[in-house]
Amino acid sequence: MIRLQLFVVVLMGMLVADAALAQGDYRRGLEKSQVCQSCHGRTGAESLMDSYPILAGQHEDYLIHALKSYRDGGRNNAVMQGFANDLSDQDIADLAAWYARQERLQDLKID
Amino acid sequence: MRLLWIFTLLLLSLPTASSAQGDPDRGKEIAYTCTGCHGIAFYKNVYPTYTVPKLGGQNYQYIVDSLKAYRSGERRHPTMQAQANTLSDQDMADIAAWFVQLTEEES
Repeated sequence: MIRLQLFVVVLMGMLVADAALAQGDYRRGLEKSQVCQSCHGRTGAESLMDSYPILAGQHEDYLIHALKSYRDGGRNNAVMQGFANDLSDQDIADLAAWYARQERLQDLKID
Repeated sequence: MRLLWIFTLLLLSLPTASSAQGDPDRGKEIAYTCTGCHGIAFYKNVYPTYTVPKLGGQNYQYIVDSLKAYRSGERRHPTMQAQANTLSDQDMADIAAWFVQLTEEES
Protein backbone atom coordinates (compact mmCIF):
# COMPACT_ATOMS: atom_id res chain seq x y z
CA MET A 1 0.00 0.00 0.00
CA ILE A 2 2.78 2.40 0.92
CA ARG A 3 4.56 1.48 -2.30
CA LEU A 4 1.46 2.39 -4.26
CA GLN A 5 1.21 5.77 -2.52
CA LEU A 6 4.86 6.40 -3.20
CA PHE A 7 4.33 5.52 -6.84
CA VAL A 8 1.43 7.98 -7.15
CA VAL A 9 3.43 10.77 -5.50
CA VAL A 10 6.41 10.22 -7.80
CA LEU A 11 4.13 10.10 -10.84
CA MET A 12 2.47 13.38 -9.88
CA GLY A 13 5.86 14.94 -9.30
CA MET A 14 6.94 13.93 -12.79
CA LEU A 15 3.80 15.44 -14.30
CA VAL A 16 4.32 18.75 -12.50
CA ALA A 17 7.98 18.87 -13.52
CA ASP A 18 7.05 18.18 -17.13
CA ALA A 19 4.47 20.96 -17.15
CA ALA A 20 6.97 23.40 -15.61
CA LEU A 21 9.58 22.63 -18.24
CA ALA A 22 7.17 23.16 -21.09
CA GLN A 23 5.82 26.46 -19.77
CA GLY A 24 7.13 29.72 -21.15
CA ASP A 25 6.93 32.88 -19.06
CA TYR A 26 5.07 35.49 -21.12
CA ARG A 27 6.36 38.40 -19.00
CA ARG A 28 9.93 37.38 -19.68
CA GLY A 29 8.87 36.90 -23.29
CA LEU A 30 7.78 40.54 -23.51
CA GLU A 31 11.13 41.64 -22.05
CA LYS A 32 13.06 39.54 -24.55
CA SER A 33 10.92 40.65 -27.49
CA GLN A 34 12.51 44.11 -27.87
CA VAL A 35 14.36 43.05 -31.01
CA CYS A 36 11.30 41.29 -32.47
CA GLN A 37 9.17 44.39 -31.92
CA SER A 38 11.01 46.48 -34.49
CA CYS A 39 9.62 44.28 -37.28
CA HIS A 40 6.59 42.48 -35.77
CA GLY A 41 5.25 45.20 -33.45
CA ARG A 42 4.77 45.05 -29.67
CA THR A 43 1.99 42.47 -29.72
CA GLY A 44 3.06 40.87 -32.98
CA ALA A 45 0.04 42.30 -34.78
CA GLU A 46 1.73 45.26 -36.47
CA SER A 47 4.15 44.02 -39.12
CA LEU A 48 6.61 46.51 -40.58
CA MET A 49 6.23 44.83 -43.97
CA ASP A 50 3.46 42.69 -45.43
CA SER A 51 5.92 39.87 -45.98
CA TYR A 52 6.57 39.61 -42.21
CA PRO A 53 4.02 37.38 -40.50
CA ILE A 54 1.58 38.43 -37.82
CA LEU A 55 2.41 36.55 -34.61
CA ALA A 56 -0.36 37.77 -32.31
CA GLY A 57 -2.61 34.91 -31.27
CA GLN A 58 -0.61 32.23 -33.10
CA HIS A 59 -0.44 28.81 -31.39
CA GLU A 60 2.32 28.65 -28.80
CA ASP A 61 3.71 25.30 -29.93
CA TYR A 62 3.75 26.39 -33.58
CA LEU A 63 5.73 29.53 -32.69
CA ILE A 64 8.20 27.34 -30.78
CA HIS A 65 8.47 25.02 -33.78
CA ALA A 66 9.04 27.95 -36.18
CA LEU A 67 11.74 29.62 -34.05
CA LYS A 68 13.57 26.34 -33.50
CA SER A 69 13.39 25.62 -37.24
CA TYR A 70 15.01 28.98 -37.97
CA ARG A 71 17.65 28.35 -35.32
CA ASP A 72 18.41 24.79 -36.35
CA GLY A 73 18.37 25.54 -40.08
CA GLY A 74 15.20 23.68 -41.09
CA ARG A 75 13.67 26.93 -42.23
CA ASN A 76 15.72 29.36 -44.26
CA ASN A 77 15.49 33.09 -43.74
CA ALA A 78 18.68 35.06 -43.32
CA VAL A 79 17.14 37.65 -40.98
CA MET A 80 15.28 35.22 -38.76
CA GLN A 81 18.18 32.79 -38.60
CA GLY A 82 20.39 35.59 -37.35
CA PHE A 83 18.04 36.39 -34.49
CA ALA A 84 17.06 32.81 -33.62
CA ASN A 85 20.71 31.71 -33.36
CA ASP A 86 21.03 33.68 -30.13
CA LEU A 87 17.98 32.15 -28.47
CA SER A 88 17.92 29.34 -25.90
CA ASP A 89 15.03 26.89 -25.66
CA GLN A 90 13.78 28.87 -22.65
CA ASP A 91 13.97 32.18 -24.58
CA ILE A 92 11.94 30.60 -27.38
CA ALA A 93 9.33 29.24 -24.96
CA ASP A 94 9.03 32.67 -23.29
CA LEU A 95 8.64 34.55 -26.60
CA ALA A 96 6.07 32.05 -27.85
CA ALA A 97 4.12 32.41 -24.60
CA TRP A 98 3.98 36.21 -25.06
CA TYR A 99 2.80 36.23 -28.68
CA ALA A 100 0.34 33.36 -28.20
CA ARG A 101 -1.41 35.42 -25.50
CA GLN A 102 -2.09 38.37 -27.84
CA GLU A 103 -5.17 38.64 -30.02
CA ARG A 104 -5.42 38.72 -33.78
CA LEU A 105 -5.03 35.49 -35.76
CA GLN A 106 -7.98 33.13 -36.19
CA ASP A 107 -8.69 29.67 -37.54
CA LEU A 108 -10.16 29.59 -41.04
CA LYS A 109 -13.94 29.55 -41.20
CA ILE A 110 -16.14 28.49 -44.08
CA ASP A 111 -19.78 29.35 -43.58
CA MET B 1 7.11 67.20 -73.19
CA ARG B 2 3.74 65.59 -73.69
CA LEU B 3 5.43 62.25 -74.24
CA LEU B 4 7.24 62.68 -70.95
CA TRP B 5 3.92 63.17 -69.17
CA ILE B 6 2.45 60.06 -70.71
CA PHE B 7 5.54 58.10 -69.75
CA THR B 8 5.38 59.38 -66.18
CA LEU B 9 1.71 58.47 -65.85
CA LEU B 10 2.39 55.01 -67.20
CA LEU B 11 5.21 54.56 -64.73
CA LEU B 12 2.99 55.67 -61.85
CA SER B 13 0.28 53.23 -62.80
CA LEU B 14 2.67 50.27 -62.84
CA PRO B 15 3.16 49.63 -59.10
CA THR B 16 -0.58 49.63 -58.37
CA ALA B 17 -1.18 47.13 -61.15
CA SER B 18 1.52 44.76 -59.96
CA SER B 19 0.61 44.99 -56.26
CA ALA B 20 -3.06 44.19 -56.91
CA GLN B 21 -4.12 41.38 -54.61
CA GLY B 22 -6.00 38.25 -55.57
CA ASP B 23 -9.73 37.62 -55.68
CA PRO B 24 -10.97 36.60 -52.20
CA ASP B 25 -14.20 35.06 -53.49
CA ARG B 26 -12.33 32.69 -55.78
CA GLY B 27 -9.80 32.13 -52.99
CA LYS B 28 -12.54 31.05 -50.62
CA GLU B 29 -13.57 28.30 -53.05
CA ILE B 30 -10.03 27.02 -53.65
CA ALA B 31 -9.21 27.19 -49.94
CA TYR B 32 -11.89 24.68 -49.01
CA THR B 33 -9.13 22.06 -48.75
CA CYS B 34 -7.10 24.27 -46.40
CA THR B 35 -9.92 24.35 -43.86
CA GLY B 36 -9.60 20.56 -43.45
CA CYS B 37 -6.59 21.30 -41.19
CA HIS B 38 -6.43 25.08 -40.67
CA GLY B 39 -10.15 25.36 -39.95
CA ILE B 40 -10.20 22.92 -37.04
CA ALA B 41 -9.29 24.56 -33.75
CA PHE B 42 -6.22 23.01 -32.06
CA TYR B 43 -5.84 20.38 -34.79
CA LYS B 44 -2.37 18.83 -34.63
CA ASN B 45 0.13 17.59 -37.19
CA VAL B 46 1.05 13.97 -36.70
CA TYR B 47 4.73 14.61 -37.27
CA PRO B 48 6.38 16.87 -36.38
CA THR B 49 3.75 17.32 -33.70
CA TYR B 50 2.54 20.87 -33.22
CA THR B 51 -0.76 22.67 -33.61
CA VAL B 52 -1.53 23.63 -37.20
CA PRO B 53 -1.01 27.42 -37.46
CA LYS B 54 -3.86 29.91 -37.57
CA LEU B 55 -4.06 31.71 -40.90
CA GLY B 56 -7.15 33.92 -40.61
CA GLY B 57 -5.99 37.54 -40.62
CA GLN B 58 -2.41 36.69 -41.61
CA ASN B 59 -0.57 39.09 -43.93
CA TYR B 60 -1.12 38.70 -47.67
CA GLN B 61 2.49 38.71 -48.84
CA TYR B 62 3.60 36.34 -46.08
CA ILE B 63 1.01 33.75 -47.22
CA VAL B 64 1.99 34.06 -50.88
CA ASP B 65 5.70 33.80 -50.04
CA SER B 66 5.13 30.77 -47.81
CA LEU B 67 3.07 28.90 -50.41
CA LYS B 68 5.71 29.59 -53.06
CA ALA B 69 8.46 28.39 -50.72
CA TYR B 70 6.56 25.14 -50.13
CA ARG B 71 6.04 24.72 -53.89
CA SER B 72 9.72 25.27 -54.67
CA GLY B 73 10.76 22.92 -51.86
CA GLU B 74 12.63 25.66 -50.01
CA ARG B 75 10.28 25.27 -47.06
CA ARG B 76 9.60 21.68 -46.06
CA HIS B 77 6.46 20.04 -44.86
CA PRO B 78 5.13 16.96 -46.70
CA THR B 79 1.44 17.90 -46.62
CA MET B 80 2.00 21.58 -47.42
CA GLN B 81 4.45 20.78 -50.23
CA ALA B 82 1.88 18.41 -51.79
CA GLN B 83 -0.85 21.05 -51.53
CA ALA B 84 1.26 23.91 -52.86
CA ASN B 85 2.34 21.82 -55.84
CA THR B 86 -1.24 21.89 -57.13
CA LEU B 87 -1.52 25.70 -56.93
CA SER B 88 -0.79 28.34 -59.60
CA ASP B 89 0.47 31.84 -58.74
CA GLN B 90 -3.08 33.12 -59.26
CA ASP B 91 -4.50 30.45 -56.91
CA MET B 92 -2.02 31.50 -54.22
CA ALA B 93 -2.89 35.19 -54.63
CA ASP B 94 -6.61 34.42 -54.39
CA ILE B 95 -6.22 32.18 -51.33
CA ALA B 96 -4.10 34.79 -49.55
CA ALA B 97 -6.66 37.49 -50.37
CA TRP B 98 -9.33 35.44 -48.62
CA PHE B 99 -7.17 34.72 -45.54
CA VAL B 100 -6.50 38.45 -45.10
CA GLN B 101 -10.21 39.23 -45.19
CA LEU B 102 -11.02 36.90 -42.34
CA THR B 103 -10.32 39.32 -39.53
CA GLU B 104 -11.03 42.50 -41.42
CA GLU B 105 -14.69 41.53 -41.48
CA GLU B 106 -14.79 40.70 -37.81
CA SER B 107 -12.83 43.56 -36.28
